Amino acid sequence: MDLDLTDDQRLFLDTTVRFIEGELPVASTRDLHSDPRGYSEGWLRKSAELGWYAMLAPEAYGGGSLSDNGLVDAAIVAETLGRFVQPGPFTPINVVVDALVGFGSDEQRIRLLPALAGGETVVTWAPLDGSAQWDLGASLRIEERAGRYHLTGERGVVQDAQTAELILVCANQNGRLRQFLVPTKSAGVEVHPLTCLDLTRRAGLVTFDDVVVDADAIVTTDDNEAALNRQLQVALALTVAETVGALDAMVSMTVRYAKDRIAFGRPIGSFQALKHILADVALYLEASKAASVALTRAVAERADDVAEITAIVASYVGDHATEIAQQCLQIHGGIGCTWEHDLHLLMRRTRANSSLYGTPAWHRERICVLHGLGGTDGLA
Amino acid sequence: MDLGVPMASPDVPDLGEYRERAGDWLRDNLPSRKANSPVRAGHDLSPDQLASDRAQQKRLYDAGYAGIAVPVEYGGQGLTAAHEKAWQREASSYALPMPGGIAFGVTIGIVLPTVLAYASEDQKRSWVPKMLSAEEIWVQLLSEPGAGSDLAAVLTRATQDGEDWVLNGTKVWSSGAMSADYGVCLARTNWDVPKHRGLTWFKVPLHDDRVTVRPIREVNGGSEFCEEFLDDVVVGADMMIGEVDGGWPIANAMLGFERANIGNAAGQPLGGRKHRALPSDLMSAAEIAGATSDPLARQAIARIHAEDTVLGLLARRIGAAVMTGQMDAGAVSYLKLGQGLLQPDRACAAMEIAARGAIAWRPDAPGEELATNYLNGRIMAIAGGSNQIQRNIISERVLGLPREPSEDRGKSFADVLRDARNWGQ
Repeated sequence: MDLDLTDDQRLFLDTTVRFIEGELPVASTRDLHSDPRGYSEGWLRKSAELGWYAMLAPEAYGGGSLSDNGLVDAAIVAETLGRFVQPGPFTPINVVVDALVGFGSDEQRIRLLPALAGGETVVTWAPLDGSAQWDLGASLRIEERAGRYHLTGERGVVQDAQTAELILVCANQNGRLRQFLVPTKSAGVEVHPLTCLDLTRRAGLVTFDDVVVDADAIVTTDDNEAALNRQLQVALALTVAETVGALDAMVSMTVRYAKDRIAFGRPIGSFQALKHILADVALYLEASKAASVALTRAVAERADDVAEITAIVASYVGDHATEIAQQCLQIHGGIGCTWEHDLHLLMRRTRANSSLYGTPAWHRERICVLHGLGGTDGLA
Repeated sequence: MDLGVPMASPDVPDLGEYRERAGDWLRDNLPSRKANSPVRAGHDLSPDQLASDRAQQKRLYDAGYAGIAVPVEYGGQGLTAAHEKAWQREASSYALPMPGGIAFGVTIGIVLPTVLAYASEDQKRSWVPKMLSAEEIWVQLLSEPGAGSDLAAVLTRATQDGEDWVLNGTKVWSSGAMSADYGVCLARTNWDVPKHRGLTWFKVPLHDDRVTVRPIREVNGGSEFCEEFLDDVVVGADMMIGEVDGGWPIANAMLGFERANIGNAAGQPLGGRKHRALPSDLMSAAEIAGATSDPLARQAIARIHAEDTVLGLLARRIGAAVMTGQMDAGAVSYLKLGQGLLQPDRACAAMEIAARGAIAWRPDAPGEELATNYLNGRIMAIAGGSNQIQRNIISERVLGLPREPSEDRGKSFADVLRDARNWGQ
């Protein structure tokens, strides 16, 4: 939806759409609803061949992207994933890739980035506590004993925890935020699958009972909170792009239905009561596209205002995605309430995205804190 | 002014020197701008103020900084849109002359591009330089007491009398007409064809003895709008714009220019800062009520801030897409509808936050501004095409939805009036 895509990027978009239509069209994603893994390993490898998990990594580590702006390329994929309600750990893997490029050790980069780029290893990201709150690691405690690290506590709503080999977790050592890459096979790690609103998504509650890791699991930098905020920004840039893709599919589907469906002797889309709803919906969608493009570019360029624009765009798109989905369902009427119709699949995806990495209300409070409103200052 | 103004040269010029020269001229000739200083309305202007603002605009015109992207033969500089943008950036911190306040904005932003697109060669050569130099200030004579959203239902009548035309009727909601010299007037020239096909545009002198201009007192106590009574006003054939009965496409283009102007007002440029300022009206509401720590007030402030910022991003997207032909010009209605939804929402949010502070206030407290915004906050949802009209344009022109059947299509306007009178009988 970025109107300034290069010819190469447009071609990449076409390739992405063709791949999805060939491998896993929306009708086929329904076969995965009861699959505990949510996606197949073979499909993940094939998607890796298109570069889906390499775009934020440099060539030296097996990465590489089409343009010199990997995040814009990744947003093209994210948007298409949303449009076709694709499963899989696209966002968490890319968040972790960006984190490792930014502040992983060289050993971690050499060991992990090529394997991630090739779809041979799956990682996920666990920034939330058991009730899906942004807790800066408060609910996962670290103790250092004899040069080893003992983790006890939990992380919530961890996307694709069921299939991930490694989890990048936020934890705290004496109240200080630290991040660790924990293998899910470690003794004491248990993944409790959650039932998800989004049928094409998998997530788990992960508990840690005295899980022991070595120093090579630490992913650290001078300012761990800034690093975590960067991860959130990357996650939201991709999540918002995905939402916009799903909304675009939803609105196109609804406009088409309003033109085709006849009632009272005319297409229902000729009634002002409905066309005015669709005009509002189209405005919110177009504004969400503009917002998504601005967010992706701000995160890619690490713009001065990236923290503010992240909160603004996440709250705007989060709110309006719900409004758009509700109105699209209203215009579909009864048919939109059936299992066979694809509308609910898109509604599940967009609604889940609006809450996953901070609710709109949470992002609005962040805007106020960022502005130092009411005496507080700095970003919590 | 971004849309529709023909560019003289497609070359990408070197603007460094241009910008420097413009900066020098601005420094030497204009005072710097006070932050957030509002545009003066016509009724606030004394004749002396109007005269001195005109003189200042004339100096700016003589120096070559008016109509930068307007072709030379029409009194402009024939430079590129990039020059125009560079000038705007340089000039943004100066108090540019606005002779007649909003009326000059209408002249330059709405009437001028319409005239460039539709007037005859002779008319353009004669009129456009006078607009640019503020020798002539023009407003729109569009709406009537019986024709607002249904603009094509205007009743003002123009009848031919030899070489001349005689106009009769009442116009209303004309921004800034009290300080203007001319109006572009939409009049009916044929009653025996469907309403859209019997309309024609005329340039009407507002200082004519047979024109009465009366300011309308608004709920905020001010008078930005006027009503005009035209009693046998005679204009020559050289005052007609476009073809006889060919006025409707011109009206649509003009309304498009107006919407683009309104929509482009959204959002704030960032200018390398860490964040934009929070909306000042809501902040002052929260301060009146001591509510800057109140969670509900904080949510409302941040929500309006997000809406406002995103509408600014949308304006940039739509502006670029319409200019490059990636979107139909009807997409400009997204910006107008966006403002038409946000402004009332924002005014109501400020009242909610300010609570008692905006129903009764001490003379030194900012309650007045909030209360006035509340009463006047729907202007953007009504003027320049109501929200409902924007929704029709978006759904039909942009989304391609079918039109609602109407009672007046294919009928002569005389029959439309007769059938409406007999409605339900």
